[in-house]
Amino acid sequence: MYAKTYGETTCGIDGEEIIVEVDIANGLPGFDIVGLPDTAVKESRERVKAAIKNSGFRFPSVHITVNLAPADLKKDGSGLDLPIATGILLGTGQITCANIDDIIFAGELALDGSIREIKGILPMIMRAKEVGKKEIFIPQGNTAEGELVDGIIVYTPKTLEEMTKHLNGNIKLTPLPKHELKLDSNYPTQVDFSDVQGQIVAKRALEIAAAGGHNVLMIGAPGAGKTMLARRLPTILPPMTEEEALEVTKIYSISGLLSRTRGLVLERPFRSPHHTISHNALIGGGSVPKPGEVTLSHNGVLFLDELPEFSRSALEVLRQPLEDGFVTISRVQASLSFPATFILVSAENPCPCGFYGEDDGVHECTCRPNEIERYQKKISGPLLDRIDIQIQVPRLNYKDMKNTLPVESSATIRTRVKAAREIQLNRLKGTKLHCNADMGHKEIKQHCSLDFQAEVLLEKYFVGLGLSARSHDRIIKVAQTIADLDASRIITGRHISEAIQLRTSNQG
Amino acid sequence: MHSRAQFGKWGEDVACRYLAQQGYTILTRNYRSTFGEIDIIVEKKGEITFIEVKSRKTLMFGTPAAAVTKSKQTKIHSTAFQYLHTCTKRYRQFWFDVVEIYVVDGKTTINHIQHCF
Repeated sequence: MYAKTYGETTCGIDGEEIIVEVDIANGLPGFDIVGLPDTAVKESRERVKAAIKNSGFRFPSVHITVNLAPADLKKDGSGLDLPIATGILLGTGQITCANIDDIIFAGELALDGSIREIKGILPMIMRAKEVGKKEIFIPQGNTAEGELVDGIIVYTPKTLEEMTKHLNGNIKLTPLPKHELKLDSNYPTQVDFSDVQGQIVAKRALEIAAAGGHNVLMIGAPGAGKTMLARRLPTILPPMTEEEALEVTKIYSISGLLSRTRGLVLERPFRSPHHTISHNALIGGGSVPKPGEVTLSHNGVLFLDELPEFSRSALEVLRQPLEDGFVTISRVQASLSFPATFILVSAENPCPCGFYGEDDGVHECTCRPNEIERYQKKISGPLLDRIDIQIQVPRLNYKDMKNTLPVESSATIRTRVKAAREIQLNRLKGTKLHCNADMGHKEIKQHCSLDFQAEVLLEKYFVGLGLSARSHDRIIKVAQTIADLDASRIITGRHISEAIQLRTSNQG
Repeated sequence: MHSRAQFGKWGEDVACRYLAQQGYTILTRNYRSTFGEIDIIVEKKGEITFIEVKSRKTLMFGTPAAAVTKSKQTKIHSTAFQYLHTCTKRYRQFWFDVVEIYVVDGKTTINHIQHCF
């Protein structure tokens, strides 16, 4: 007997359809799986056998061959248990279903026949819809993700037995209702910008960064509030568009980081890896490449605290994703591209002791000049060149710190950021870009118009400071964001000079 | 003789009768070598077949044939080649079969799985 069912596996951040063929032939009892299965798929033999038996079905005592097509694609994960089990039940006549070709099965089987949740359900459903399947069976534990895709009927059977009864027409499962995508909800946060007294310059810089998606480097003495400021950045980020949210959710679905209750990731991700992180963990890796921190912070913030403490190799791998917005990882098993458009926020001390350049008359830098030089050289020029906003975060004096004057809250800043982002989205309509920082040279030429004074200023600084062509573009992009915050159509001299100041405050 | 060995012997007798009915000529029974033992060796139309007989009184632990494991198959292979070396007659082809016999509710079922490994 021959039977064919359809399953899904994940490939990069997308789903990929797998044809599961089952042949049931006479011979010594046996069960073989071919078609480049990984260990989790090979082990599904034992799970499928036990699940079929313990669900009250007959596991045939003959030779079973399962083929997973296409044969050259490496199949990983346990989500193929369900299509394999269904194929065997079909082949032995224990399921009769006319429209089996329109259905996708995805789920891991427990030994007692219940269906366990798996990673990467969202991309699988999206793929199933794309290839024109009509129904998909997913584990009940993945309900939250199942509610997100419109245009395909999603069932969440609890057990193999329940699913079989439904396919045989004995009972009728109710399909999952569709969940409205609500993006602009003000999610509660535990921190707020009103917690931070003073630091006007740093707050302004972060506001610009949030509005235009620019990278930030904060330099300051220990305890000045760099980390405190960075942790509050997510509270002023504009809400994600539906497209962005689905992309992020797909990444988190594949990485198995979605919470079970809430399907869609609403908040922009904020990742702050420890400085001992390896470069593989940062950009992604593994024999079948898995997303790294840069991909997990896609459409959000990657915060690197104590930047010079990161290993040189980890920092240098950031150069390419910072410029291109994606990473391509090549390994033996596969070569995959992951999206990696993020705001890089980093913090560092000016020297090993942390007080270099501090002029409060109390703290004296105790580092030798060569130590300071070595410390500052840990971050390469090319990486610094990609950071649009570089600011000093000075230590607060006592009076500022004890100030009880009302401070602007995150919500107020967020309103301005949202308005600026709205202008950008309108300007970039029809492209795949979301904010000023995403713009390339072509878009800058097309969209950014400088007035006379701005042109003069830019030329003066370009020649005077010996800026690179990339810095030139990046200064215009920051100036454009400042203009957007001002709701100004053209970039004026004031916008350009603020952008230049933000960029070069560190370089003297 | 131990009762379990007796049951196994009975199963092999049943298998022999069945094979004879099917037109096989029985060449040897319980052929032994240093590698192991072959229950029955038969011949039909110039082809030789090495047969493993498995008998069970219950199906609680799976079908008898499921007990013919990979290591058992290797033993039978080695013994079969030993036999072919020593015998003078030449055969066109050789096969390995399993005959499973199970007795459930007093009813005996014979299942001949041909050319299975």
